Amino acid sequence: MIDKISFLLIEGFRNLWRHKLTASTSIFSVFLTLFLIGILIIVGQNSHYPIEYFRSKYKIEVFFKKDTSDAQEKIIIEKIREFPEVRSVTPITKKDAVRIFKDQFGEDVVKMLGYNPLPGSAVVNINKDGFEQVNLEPLIEEIQSLNGVDIVRYQGRLISRLERFYQMMINLLKISTGVILLVSIVVISNTIKLTIYTCRELIKTLQLLGATKMFIKVPFILEGIFQSIIGASLAFFTIFGLMKAGNHYLPQLVTLRIQLDLYFGIGLLIISVVIGFIGSYRAVSKFL
Amino acid sequence: MLFFYSISIGNLEKSQVGFFTVIAFNGVSYFFSKEIGVKDVNFEISQDEFAFLIGPTGSGKTTIMRLIYMDLMPDEGFVTVGGISSNKIKKRKIPMVRRKIGMVFQDYHLLSDRNIFENVALPLHMVGIRRDEVRERVMNMLNELNIEEKEKKKPFELSGGEQQRVCIARALVKEPEVILADEPTGNLDPVAAHDLIKLLENVNNEGTAVFMVSHNYNLIKNRGHRILEIQMGEIQNQ
Repeated sequence: MIDKISFLLIEGFRNLWRHKLTASTSIFSVFLTLFLIGILIIVGQNSHYPIEYFRSKYKIEVFFKKDTSDAQEKIIIEKIREFPEVRSVTPITKKDAVRIFKDQFGEDVVKMLGYNPLPGSAVVNINKDGFEQVNLEPLIEEIQSLNGVDIVRYQGRLISRLERFYQMMINLLKISTGVILLVSIVVISNTIKLTIYTCRELIKTLQLLGATKMFIKVPFILEGIFQSIIGASLAFFTIFGLMKAGNHYLPQLVTLRIQLDLYFGIGLLIISVVIGFIGSYRAVSKFL
Repeated sequence: MLFFYSISIGNLEKSQVGFFTVIAFNGVSYFFSKEIGVKDVNFEISQDEFAFLIGPTGSGKTTIMRLIYMDLMPDEGFVTVGGISSNKIKKRKIPMVRRKIGMVFQDYHLLSDRNIFENVALPLHMVGIRRDEVRERVMNMLNELNIEEKEKKKPFELSGGEQQRVCIARALVKEPEVILADEPTGNLDPVAAHDLIKLLENVNNEGTAVFMVSHNYNLIKNRGHRILEIQMGEIQNQ
């Protein structure tokens, strides 16, 4: 049994050389599709950087009622901090508001009016991590319902537009990856079908000599998997090289850095084995 | 060895009672869609027997061969090869029947991208024989057929006669119960054809049944072997 397995394994490897023309076509198509998939994965993996940047700028301003004391404001702020969506809360007391007014308009409002008309407030920043869409409406409603809160202001329309756009991009990436994956399976399967078509005499001879379907199929399936692994390795090293070059030159243009982790390489390898197996199995099953 | 004992039935007078039967046709008919393939064929080939099947082009010789290696299944009757009957076998078990048969083809069917050693070794790898044993058995076979120095050559580097020897080596290396030779002399010159028949006779003398298809009567006459004649899909003379 071990001798049979090792023979089939070696046959799969040798077939790469025997069918070098069709094998190189297949490897190139795997390389191309996995390169595209790899780029999409990297874009997906790094897409949180811009959205995190925007989310860090999301600002909810909570204005307290005029008759709310500083102590009551502190209690309300603590309550706001307890919401899971909230990252930080910066309190702006009535005194701070006067100072800010003076900084911005150059006038002391207390001296002008003889009293402080400005209410105490707080600036709420939300959590920026995660690929899920951020919906601030429920949080706004909850803050609004707190006793002592007068008005809640935020960039509602802008935030929902940004979040919608980000979600659209993520979904587009997922769909594109799926489509490319399917196309690559069909391409590889057709390329291997072509290889097998050129080997139909060989298959007929093997059948007449008493080879089982499995004995005929396995080298072709292994050949397909080897082709995919080679294509995937080429795609990985190309992406790795481009990423290195990108990180070398990009920092001069933007502050983002492209990242690539070990799981990316393993993922690409698994995808390639799956594509190779399904593609070659489909192809060889049509002939046997 | 899974031979079954030959029972002489009907017109099978020439079946060698006392020997084991390796191929038996029992009332076999096979019809192609528009023409008759073969009709009510009955014959047996015994162990150690050398038999020829002769007939003109289109008479049904190839259909008989295909029925033997179960590439076709009879519409009526049944074929038995090495104890395995066509009416009982499951499709996935057909390779087991073919492993009992050594096939020799007119156009050799050698794999051009493999060398001679690899071609001859193929049937042994199919049954999972150990690598060192494969080497020993293949080299012995190549020695017996005087083509051991061609071991590393590709089939297209050999003459027709040598390629046919390789084909015979590949058929014999798995120690089959019967050699099926489908017009093996078709592509050979008269001298090489005569040598090939002598070689198959030697194989037969060693104890392997040989069933050979030919349309060259002059080549096979006066050799003392049974000749089955087929005309229009029916066996005329045994």
